[in-house]
Order: sequence, then C-alpha cells, then structure tokens
Amino acid sequence: MPFDSRVDQHMKRSSSVIAALLCLLATSASAADIPTDFLKTHCYECHDTQSKQGDLDLSTFKFDDASRENFERWVKIHDRIESGEMPPREQPRPAQADKNAAINVLKQSLIKVERARLDDGGRTGVRRMTRAEYENTVRDLFQMSGIPLQGELPVDGSAHGFDKNSDALDISHVNLTKYVEAADRTLDMAIATRPKPPTSIRRRISLANAGGFVAHVLTNGDGILLKNKKPDPDFPPAGDQGHIDEGAHERMGSFRNGASVGLFRHEDESFHPYFIEHVTLYPGRYRMRTSLWSFQWDKGTVLPGRGTEAARLSVVQLSGDGRGGGHPSYVLGYYDAPSMQEQEHEVVHWLNYKEIIGFNTASLAPVANYSRKGRAMAFTGPGIVCDWFDIEGPLHDVWPPVSHQQLFGDLPVTEFRAADHPNVRPPKRTPVRREVGAGKNEPEKEEGVWTVQSEQPFVDADRLLATFLPKAFRRPVDAETRQFYVTKVDDRLKAGDCFESAMRWAYRAALCSPDFLYHIEPAGQLDDFSLASRLSYFLWNSIPDDRLIELAAKVQLRTPEILRGEVERMLNNPRSQRFVEDFLGQWLKLRQIASTDPDRKLYPEFSAYLQDSMVAETRAYFRELVNQNLGASYLIKSDFAMINEKLAVHYEIPGVSGSQIRRVALPADCPRGGFLTQAAILKITANGTTTSPVPRGAFVMARLLGQPPDPPPANITAIEPDVRGTKTIREQLDKHRTDMVCASCHAKMDPPGFALEAFDVIGGFRDRYRSIGDGDPAPRGSIDPFIGIGFKLGPAVDPSSDLPDGRSFKNVQEFQSLIASDTHRLLKNLAEQLAIYGTGRDIAFADRDQITTIVANAERDGGGIRTLIHQVIQSSFFQTR
Amino acid sequence: MIHLIRAVFLLLCCVAVSSTSRAEDAPAGNVTAKHQITGLFAPDREQDLQAVFEKLPDIKLIKIDFENAEATVQYDSAKAFPGAKLEQIVERFDNLVRGASNHTFGVKPLRTIDKEKLKRIEIAVAGLDCKACCLAAYEAVFRLKGVECATASFKEGRVTALIDPEMIDKVELETALKQRGVEVKLP
Repeated sequence: MPFDSRVDQHMKRSSSVIAALLCLLATSASAADIPTDFLKTHCYECHDTQSKQGDLDLSTFKFDDASRENFERWVKIHDRIESGEMPPREQPRPAQADKNAAINVLKQSLIKVERARLDDGGRTGVRRMTRAEYENTVRDLFQMSGIPLQGELPVDGSAHGFDKNSDALDISHVNLTKYVEAADRTLDMAIATRPKPPTSIRRRISLANAGGFVAHVLTNGDGILLKNKKPDPDFPPAGDQGHIDEGAHERMGSFRNGASVGLFRHEDESFHPYFIEHVTLYPGRYRMRTSLWSFQWDKGTVLPGRGTEAARLSVVQLSGDGRGGGHPSYVLGYYDAPSMQEQEHEVVHWLNYKEIIGFNTASLAPVANYSRKGRAMAFTGPGIVCDWFDIEGPLHDVWPPVSHQQLFGDLPVTEFRAADHPNVRPPKRTPVRREVGAGKNEPEKEEGVWTVQSEQPFVDADRLLATFLPKAFRRPVDAETRQFYVTKVDDRLKAGDCFESAMRWAYRAALCSPDFLYHIEPAGQLDDFSLASRLSYFLWNSIPDDRLIELAAKVQLRTPEILRGEVERMLNNPRSQRFVEDFLGQWLKLRQIASTDPDRKLYPEFSAYLQDSMVAETRAYFRELVNQNLGASYLIKSDFAMINEKLAVHYEIPGVSGSQIRRVALPADCPRGGFLTQAAILKITANGTTTSPVPRGAFVMARLLGQPPDPPPANITAIEPDVRGTKTIREQLDKHRTDMVCASCHAKMDPPGFALEAFDVIGGFRDRYRSIGDGDPAPRGSIDPFIGIGFKLGPAVDPSSDLPDGRSFKNVQEFQSLIASDTHRLLKNLAEQLAIYGTGRDIAFADRDQITTIVANAERDGGGIRTLIHQVIQSSFFQTR
Repeated sequence: MIHLIRAVFLLLCCVAVSSTSRAEDAPAGNVTAKHQITGLFAPDREQDLQAVFEKLPDIKLIKIDFENAEATVQYDSAKAFPGAKLEQIVERFDNLVRGASNHTFGVKPLRTIDKEKLKRIEIAVAGLDCKACCLAAYEAVFRLKGVECATASFKEGRVTALIDPEMIDKVELETALKQRGVEVKLP
C-alpha cells in the first residue's frame, strides 16, 4: 500500500481522536474515582481549603479528563503516596491495606483517564529517522561505511531525553531540501563512473612533510630529526641558533631523507601537524600504518622515556573552515608509543574527498621551545617519534563497488558513445579535482563517459527496483508502489535521459520518500518487518540486515527463542557500538562532554586526550556491563574500572600503561568505576569552572535514579559558586534549602550532589576546593611536571549529607553503597530509558505495569543489564506501536 | 573595422615570423660548453651536482671547477634541448638543472667581468652546521647584485663572496645575512 493511503488512514484515525477529545473538552467532568476517605484521613490536614499547602486543596481537587496538567498532578499525588513520601514521616502512617486500596483506586482512575486520551492507533507517533539513523542507514544500505551525511542535515530535537521520539522529529522544507541533497551525494558516491577502480596508491609520508607544519617547528627546536635513535647529523637539533629558512631545508631534502621525526610540542592554536602529502581525492577505504615510539630528550641526547606515551591520529576535513585554529576533525584513535621501542599500528578507515590525517603528541604536556634560549639543546623532557606514516588506497575488493551493484546489479558499465544513442542525454559527470596544492595525489585521467547501460531498460528498471526498494524501505514493497517508480523511470527515458540518469531519478525519489525516511509501523502489535526495523534501529541504529529481513519474511522473528538469538547476535556485532554511543550520548548526555572548557588556571591538567579518554571509559564500561551481564548496582559502584593510563593517572590508580582502555581491578574503597563517579559524568554535570550539587544532584535523580526533579520555581535565581575560595557551595546552598519553597526538592536533589562534591569539574578527586584567590599552595600531585600550577587550595570539601529517607552518609563511598543497594530502582530506571530509546515513545502512566513486568522478569533471571535488554525487547511494550 | 583588425593581426604575424627566422639555431652534434653553476656553495656540493647530472642523461658533466663555481659539460643540443635556439640553451639548461636539483642548483652564463676586478669578502658567522642552512646563507648573499660567486660553511663559521666592489660592499652582505637569520660574528 503506498504511503499516501496509510497516511490517509492515520489521518482518519487522528480525526476520530480529535473528535473524541473535543467531546471530552465539552464535558470535562470525570467519572474517575478518588479515594476520598483515605485523602480525608491522611492528607486533608495539610491539603484542604484552609491549609492548602503546596497550593493543593485535595478536598476540592477532582479529575479533569481534558487537562493534562490535572492528570500530571494526580500522577504526582499517586506517586508520593505510593513511595511513602506522603503523608510526611512525622505524621501517623496509614495502614498498608488502606494505602494499597487508595493507590489502586488512583491507579485505575489514572489509567482510565489516560486510555481515553491516548490514541489507540499506536502510542509511538509516526517518526522520521534521526540524523544518525539516516547516515547509518545509507552507509549500511550501500556499504559505504564513511559517507558523511548527518553533518549536513538539520539538528534533531529531543523529547523525553532522546532524539528518537516522534515529538522531537519534526520535518520542514529545510529537512526535505537537505534530504534531496543527501540523496544526490549518496548516489554520486555510490554509482561507478569508470570502467575500473581508481588506482590504489601507497605513499610513505614523513611527519615533517612539506605543508604539514612540523618542518617549521623542527627548525625552531620544538622537535628533532632522528636516525638510529640519535640526532640526524644532517639536521642538528636547534640550539641557540635555530635552522634558518625552512624553504631551503625543504629544497635540500632535509625532511625527506628517511629520518624519524621526534616532537616535543603538542598541537595548539597555531600548530596542527598534518600528513598533508595525502589529500584524499577518491572516497573509500584506506589502509594506514604508522610506527611510533617515545623517548626522553636531554639537551641533545636520546634516553629511555618515562613510559608509554600516546599519539593521536585524526581525520581532518579540509573541506571545512580552517580559519582560526585548525580544520574540523575527528579522532581516528590514540596509539601507543613505547619507550625506545618502535610499535607499528594499522587501521583501515574510510576517507572522504579532501580529508587528510592529522597527528598529535597527545600524552605530552604543552611545551614550546621556539622562544626559549637554547631551544632543543636546552630542553629536557619527553618526546614522541613518528618513524613514518604509510597510507594505501582506495581499497576496492570488487568493481563496480557494492554500492553500485545495489543500484544496478550486474549490468555492464560501458562507454557511452553519443552516436550509438541518438537523442539521449549522457549522464552528468563532475571531474575529480586536486584542490590542495600540498597533496601529491593526482586525479586520474578519465577518457570518455562510462555508464551502466541496459538493453531492455524497462525490464531492468522493474527488476532492479524490485530488489532495491524492499531493502531501502525495510519491508516488502507491493507492485503498486514499485510501479510508481518504474513508471517514472519510463517517463525519464522517454524524455531523453540515459538509463543511469532515469534510474537515478527513481532512486533519488525513493531515498527522499516517506517509506525510506520514516519508520512505518502498523497500529497495535508490530508485524515482523516492523519488529525487525525497531530492533535494528535500537541495537544498530540502522537498517536491518538480510538475516533479520529473512526471519521477518518467514514470520519467525517474534518467536521468543529466535528473537533472543537475534538480540545476542546483534549485541555481539560491532554495529552495536552505535547503540552504545547513541544511547549513552543521550541517556548520560555524553554528547555534551565538550560543551564546557575547564578553566585553564584552575584545571591546567585538562586536555583533549583526557576528555576523549573520559568518553571512552563510559562507553567501554557500559559495553562491559552488557557483555558481562552485570547487575544494576554496577551502575553506581564497581570493583573495576575501564580506563587507560591517562585516566589511571587522573584517578590516581597505579599500574596502568598505555592509551588503550582496559578493565582494571580497583583497590578496596576506591570510589571509581560506576557511572556515578566517572570523569565524563562529573565533567558533564559541571560548568567548567565550578561544581554545584544542584545540577549534579538533578542529573543523578533524573538519569540514574529515574526521579527527575521538578523544574525550579519561577524567579528563583541560580547560585553563583564562589571561586575566590571564601565560601563553599554548601554554605551558599544552606540558606537556599531553608526556604520552604525550595526545601522539598532540594532535600532529594542535594544529597547526591553533596556526595559528588568530592570530585572537581574534570572528575578529579578532591578534599579541598581549588581556588584562584585565597588558599594554600597546591601540591603537584599527579599533574605533569611540564604543566604550570597557578591555583591554590581553598576550603575543605564536605561530601556528607542525609538522604530524604533519613539515612546519612559521610563520603561518596558511603553514598554509593546506599544507592547501589537499591538495584530495583536502578534497574527500573534503566528499563525505562532503554524502552523510551528503543520505541521512540515516552512511558505513560498506563505503561508502568509493563515496565514493572520487564524489571521483574529481568530480576528473576539474575538482574543483569544484558538480561534487561532482552526483557525490554521481548516485552509487549517494545513489540507494539 | 574588422578589415583593419585583420590587417593589424596579419602584420603582427609577419613581424613575429620574421623575428623568429632571425634567431640562430643551436649547433648540431656534440658540444662542449662551460657554464657558471649556482648553488655550489661548498666542496661537498660537487657530489650533489654529480648526482643531479645523473638524472640528466642527455648532458654529460665533464668537470667541476669549484673555485670559480663553473662546470664543463657536453651535450647534443638537439637531444638535450630539442627545438631550442642558441640563445635559449642556458635558460633551458637552467630549467633542467633546477628541476633535477629541487631548485638548489642553477645554471648561468659565464661571468664577463674580469676576475681581477673582483674582491673576495669573508664574513665570520655562527650557527648550525646544516647543509640547508648553508644554502640559505649562500642564497642570501649570492642573489645580491654585484656578487659573482659565494660559499657558505657553518662548520668553518664562514661565508665568502667574490664581489664587484663598485656595486656592493661587505656591510650589505652582512645585512642580507642578518635578515635571513644568520648570526654574524663581530670581528
């Protein structure tokens, strides 16, 4: 059935709902029951017409089916009674039976009201793909693993904590324009326009390659050339006299004589080391290899280094705006450089047009010799050496590439000769150009116009679309829908387009169609194809693979055992890393990791390497919880951490060497490990300069405990933390907490925040606040000796507090133990987060029983996180729209 | 109007053809010639120059005169510089040598000024013993008008120049070196 017809049906249903809602509005008096006797006995004392505490008069407050606000308030009343928060602790406790009865009355009333309001045609609204889903879908559909698309699409909104919710996924003419452009870019890259692949070129590049910035700093002593682990006699280290005239050195081949390049200087605003002799012309997979090691430089002598250093390789996009501090880039990886021992690293990665590889001495402190007397010959400190960097590609296993075969099957690519095709327009071609002079790659000469050709275009079009459309639309495509595209191909052929252009038109239309862009799901229980898609976009953030579609076609996917097997297969597939990254990016707000820059005076040890390590830790930790099926307590407290050397030093955990994240057993009483005390979470919940218990507490409540606090009342000004070292945030908050308006929320929100005061804005442990005003001299601790310290130690940190239930804690470890013991609460919250993320809808009041069932089943089976994921997917909540 | 343009164009063509036909053809067969070589700033550059000529199979290097920065070569101009007129040979030769040496050597016509009129200047310098730094120092002085020949060696701490004293003096040489970043030692 074409999409239009389905939309019509949906609209008809929506109209019915709107009509029903209008009727409700006209007669908003509700038939919902209220446990009046219970409220009278236990609540009226504070919430009747006279007292009306919290602006709530329960003696007159009734259900109003038409009011969302009224509904939310009744939910809150239900929740407070259920949790025991109300009546307050100092009041007589209601009998359990009375409480249960009252709760049940309220629950049934709320469900009744909600069901009347909600569309029975499906809770999950019709939603388009997110930017990430779109990009992954295209990458997997065409097997073009690195085509960049999401950066050009408008940013998605967010609802209920995730961008997958239909409430967040609006669409505008801007989206549509961008989808057309993205489809064109996809087809440009997917279609083979030449009879054989671009020649795979292998190039060895010195880090001191011309145009790559490094040669310049070598001449000034921020690096050296080495041969056989000794200074290159042809290029002595710069001392009092630096090398003169970089151009003369380039011409003399000083940087092309096979010497290794040792760097002391870190990437900074005016120094961006690039391997710019390779500027990608032909998108595709490239094999990259490099040899790295490290050393200690002592005024002209190479000595063993302090340990394993880390170098960063990044993909730099010269197509972006390079003004004001480097071009856009993303990290390819961090690679070990052991002391005096060369280590080779290899990575195969997709590169796009005008992308190059950047280098950074990631683990070194920012050091600059160029303006110091004696330059390199007066410097003692660590350095990282790059012997060479090899790049080879583009690598093509088959030609035409799979992307082309997805579109044109095995039809031959032949030369288009105009004489053979009178009145037919050839396909448009844009020649590949070399736009960056420093790049040595040259475009290959292309003779003639090569294109896919068909002897029987109408038949081939029908055949090709019959294969492509079901893959792209993730479900069987009926003849009527296919005919729509085939007819258009025929129209274009009649209008004089060649076969490729006519087919391209159809493919572009398909890639911009709602069938492709939207998740089309039937009302009620999902069919197997919808389930395959929902599953795939949950765990892979992308299109289902052939296996899932095959099972869906056999109507086997919903069989619990088969579904379980598929979930296992998908979680074990590297694509599930997309789930880890996308889910954590939103659940724990990892996407916001770079939204604040820590104050350089207060936190001089912060670096991009530390920040990237923080993110890697949180991702690896979640992955470990899933892989090892660990329980919910590990969300808060752990006996291991997933860290590298950088984080180990930051956390003051000894015995970890190298850049790679690995599982490390923690010493007893170490507060690290769980999400709660991971540096990424602690950075995200701080503002870069100071911490505040309020946002951190709110984060813990909302994200880890599933009890988001109410927004602050209007006209309440935020507390400005004092960095002069005179007053702690606790002292400032105490005044705030005595205010009755604020107290009830802060009683819940502040304790987690107080516990986390033991950590600074970059997640370092502290027992005193750092200060840029008053205070005592700060010891260096684990801070790199090349980093200057300008801060002082101010007032002591007090991480103790009381939980709303009266239990108290002295420090963060005690807080962790208290919270981690409530595994049910932690598991329930994670179930809700996974369910919202996986289905694209929020948890309604009426859904609570389903979540309870999911959690109960998970607990029955051991309470592991992987088990929980299975239970979410096996649930009717997940398997209905 | 169009007739006038055509007539002017025809005239210009005729002038061009007649001037071309006046150019002297390069002599046929093997020729032995001597040229001044730029970039020959130190004795060990002789080896580099030989390596450059190995990349130029149509030109044979017979002899290097480091003292005068000259080289004697042999070539068949029809093969080495096909289509070149006699006055184009040096320029074409220079282009070949520059291309083969990454622009560290070049070719010039022999100097015409009497060597006895030239004055040898020696400047004490300090800096890195690096061949490329020497090239930079050499070029800093050699490009100046009035400098006929130059050498540079940081190892020996010395830059020398053979200058036409009527055109340039030592101070100008020192200024050029300082501008290039070379530390000039005080006497």
